Amino acid sequence: MKRAVQVTLGILTAIGGFVDIGDLVANSETGARFGLNLAWVVVVGVIGIIVFAEMAGRVATVSRRPVFDLVRERLGPAFGLANLIASFFINFLTLTAEIAGVAIALSLVASVDYLLLIPFAAFLVWLVIWRLPFQRMEQLFGLLGLALIVVLVTVVKIGPDWNDLFRQAAHPHVPSQETPFTYAYFAIALFGAAMTPYEVFFFSSGAVEEKWTLSDLTLNRANVFVGFPLGAVLSLSLMVGAALVLQPRNISVDQLSQVGLPTVFALGKVGLATVLVGIFAATFGAALETGLSAGYTVAQYLGWPWGKHLRPDQAPRFHLVVLLSIAVATLFGLSGVDPVKVTEYSIVLSAAALPLTYFPILVIANDTDYMGDKTNGRWVNAIGFIYLVVLVVIAVATIPLMIITKGGA
Amino acid sequence: MAERQYYLGLDLLDRQLVADDGSLVGKVDDLELERCDGGDELCVTALLSGPGVLAQRMGRRYGGWVQQAQRALGRAGGDPTRIPLARVVSIGSHIELAPGSDELAGPAMDHWVNEHVIGHIPGSRHAPE
Repeated sequence: MKRAVQVTLGILTAIGGFVDIGDLVANSETGARFGLNLAWVVVVGVIGIIVFAEMAGRVATVSRRPVFDLVRERLGPAFGLANLIASFFINFLTLTAEIAGVAIALSLVASVDYLLLIPFAAFLVWLVIWRLPFQRMEQLFGLLGLALIVVLVTVVKIGPDWNDLFRQAAHPHVPSQETPFTYAYFAIALFGAAMTPYEVFFFSSGAVEEKWTLSDLTLNRANVFVGFPLGAVLSLSLMVGAALVLQPRNISVDQLSQVGLPTVFALGKVGLATVLVGIFAATFGAALETGLSAGYTVAQYLGWPWGKHLRPDQAPRFHLVVLLSIAVATLFGLSGVDPVKVTEYSIVLSAAALPLTYFPILVIANDTDYMGDKTNGRWVNAIGFIYLVVLVVIAVATIPLMIITKGGA
Repeated sequence: MAERQYYLGLDLLDRQLVADDGSLVGKVDDLELERCDGGDELCVTALLSGPGVLAQRMGRRYGGWVQQAQRALGRAGGDPTRIPLARVVSIGSHIELAPGSDELAGPAMDHWVNEHVIGHIPGSRHAPE
């Protein structure tokens, strides 16, 4: 039982990271627009995040050095700073979207405009970071997030022709009403949502927060292999649900609340209640992850004390960065920006910044100074290298595609 | 101990500095080199740490700006810390320092932030529970 509870870091990272507001929206949106023609991207994305999260978790466990230490160490001060600025900005956009997401989930229950709930949601996020111990936080939101399994139940309840679904997913093509550019743009959005850098910032820092040691390397692997595939199954369920329910009715997803429509259709009120709990947990979990990651990245780049395992007065600069990030994100959210648009830009932009984070992880995972005899095996290196090439190609293609498609319109 | 070759850029620069009590006290932002024993070779005599030195490494102009800002902030801005090589206990995935780290710039800046912001928020002196 103890072991079963210990994979909650992986589950929280996956539910709050893999299935955050970005994936909730991106998967539902692509399901409604492209059917299952982009399902393969989720599979490619989950393999990538599994390989690199395992590496990052292993490095952090063996050397106690989380991802942004490695970024600074391997890219040097200037490129490291460029990555810090890019990652911090993307992370800030995501934090804004997640806080708005929490407020939207609450507003659907409270029937108040979500803007009024943003300060309350933001305060709750900060309070949990300030007061709740890391492990309790991770267990609470990891387990609460399991409510999202209802989206899988939704698909099973609708009872689709599974053979037909697999055939569609295995023979992807660009639907007639879309262009190759929008297809590629949404592929990148899905990929960016699956491999968002804050997942590895949070997961590797979490390994240090939880004081994992060499004997916990199995735990690291278990977390990665349970959490992320679960995230992928939920993402695909959202896509399938949208493809089955929304696409035939020409409903496009441009609001977070529409993510729950297939579940309401299949399971009624109980389904709605459960999916709202799931959306709340996923966005809240992601708000915690991005809020903490704001502090993790800056503190690790500059060598400050950081983390929730310390008293706040032992890591004051870290807590100051977290506090200011949440405060500014609250103001940005209150300005009335569309959270779904903010989300879309954040995941697409993160695709452009991915190589700068994943390259140092791959290099250090092979450095015997850090890793002793726990360096990468040959296969992990092969897959890691192939992904790095793909990441670079995507990074180059992202901005032009964003301009050509006018943001996927 | 076996002889080991260290590469300054690879094994020293940008590594995490860890005090003897395990606390994180900054990065190796730059190195101080001097002629060894008046000969022609250069030796590392100290590790340097602090935002001013770091900015200096990215370009002299940035270094100047940061150092001006530091002077304006006084002690709180964090003077560049000079750590004599003799204080280094081990070099690995981080650099471990011998006791006496209280004069480092990192803890001084933390102290300032505590005094002005974080320390005023209820619960700051308690571990999360």
